[in-house]
Amino acid sequence: MNPVSALGHSIIAWVEAFGGYLQFVGRAGVSGLLPPYRTRLLLKHMHFVGVQSLTIVIITGLFTGMVFAIQAEIGFSQFGANGLIGGIVALSLTRELSPVLTALMVNGRVGSSMAAELGTMRVTEQIDALESMAIDPLQYLVAPRLLAAVIMVPALNMIFNLIGLAGCWYVAVKQLRVPEGGFWDRIWWYVDADDIVGGCIKAAVFGFILASVGCYQGFTTRGGAEGVGRATTTAVVVAGVLILTGDYFLTRILAPLSVG
Amino acid sequence: MRATDEVAAAPGIHVQGIKKSFGTQVVLDGVDLEVPRGHITVVIGRSGTGKSVLLKHVMGLLRPDAGTIRVGDDDLATLGPRALRQVRFRFGMVFQHAALFDSMDVYENVAFPLREHGFKTAAGQRKMREPEIKARVEEMLGAVGLTGVGAKGVSELSGGMRKRVGLARALVRDPEFLLYDEPTTGLDPIMTAQIDNLIRGTQDRNPGITSLVISHDMAATFRIADHVAMLYEGRVRLYGTPEEFRHTDDPVVRQFVEGRLDGPITV
Repeated sequence: MNPVSALGHSIIAWVEAFGGYLQFVGRAGVSGLLPPYRTRLLLKHMHFVGVQSLTIVIITGLFTGMVFAIQAEIGFSQFGANGLIGGIVALSLTRELSPVLTALMVNGRVGSSMAAELGTMRVTEQIDALESMAIDPLQYLVAPRLLAAVIMVPALNMIFNLIGLAGCWYVAVKQLRVPEGGFWDRIWWYVDADDIVGGCIKAAVFGFILASVGCYQGFTTRGGAEGVGRATTTAVVVAGVLILTGDYFLTRILAPLSVG
Repeated sequence: MRATDEVAAAPGIHVQGIKKSFGTQVVLDGVDLEVPRGHITVVIGRSGTGKSVLLKHVMGLLRPDAGTIRVGDDDLATLGPRALRQVRFRFGMVFQHAALFDSMDVYENVAFPLREHGFKTAAGQRKMREPEIKARVEEMLGAVGLTGVGAKGVSELSGGMRKRVGLARALVRDPEFLLYDEPTTGLDPIMTAQIDNLIRGTQDRNPGITSLVISHDMAATFRIADHVAMLYEGRVRLYGTPEEFRHTDDPVVRQFVEGRLDGPITV
């Protein structure tokens, strides 16, 4: 196959995959709006996405806040502005670091798990079994996972904010002797409700991306254990790239709102 | 009219001229098949001849490129997704590898269709309360010889036990049509005979059920079948009783039935 033809084939394959993904997400969304509403499954997946991700989010948030405080102190101490550390770290956490790092950590744990679980169900005919029992697998398997991620990733994002700030406070105030009053004053001065809301909107979108990509990859798995492995890897990589590229576009959209 | 005559008079599954291709590969090339009500029909054929594809068409999981499939009075080609789901209420399916939900134990697997849809009555679907579900699940597990295993996880079961749990799950809502996808593949000869007994016994105890079995096991086919159809090169090569298959002169069918290497079917 010549290079032009190969490029054409890969573009067609990419467009087909993207179209398949959009169709999948649309159908899952419609299925989720129709009864029966699966509250028990939604709570189960909220527990899995949210509660069971707490440990990694707390550890990541704590050390992100701590290391960012050290780096900020190195910069600000050169012109005697150590008092700004709290405000700058809080702003960075709420607007960028917290939603992005939370989503990437949850993607590694939850997105991969969704792809592997649904992929295994696909290759062992469990999804066909649901269909044979007149149960819509999109409604039963996909819709509760999507909604759980959209609800719980913003909640984890808020926990990341708080823990990150606590880590920053410990390093800045207790270790680097930044005056505590100035530390908190600058946070109230710099951080608005818009910053926090904007971060939560980003986290909700990222939650939707990681869950929908994980479910889509799992749902369309072909070919045994190798196929499940490929689906899992693809889910994590594609969702990770979409989260980081999507962050740029979301920031472009949300920044004017925040300034306004 | 006697009950058995009424069963025989009701329409079963009627497949006419269905064609299906995947890309350039033609899998079904004009299949005609009659699955009469109240009988076991076994579809045999080599691996890759489209037996499972045919089964998925009957369930409405695949749409044919051409041809019609009638299940009872319903023409599947004319039905939308919601109406197709209503047709599937009438089916029970036993999968090749059982397809049990590994996130649930045995009891929950068998109870699952009842919890989702309740039990059918003359007036329609009826929600069941937990004591009723428990009694029905225990009855079905008893029917397949698995009393007392409800609390076991799916991973703790042998291949034969999985198939029996799959059969209990397929039967629990009292289906009109029972589909089996290679129910004895991978089992030892004793367990194969036991599963065959269960299939035959289930049919004899429930004369209203219409069973369609996909298999390439000739011994099992002769034990359970009322009618046999052989798929070959995308079409039904021969349809008849087990006796007709034993005594046919068709060299293709004879080679398959006798399991010989030499003959018109090339490996």
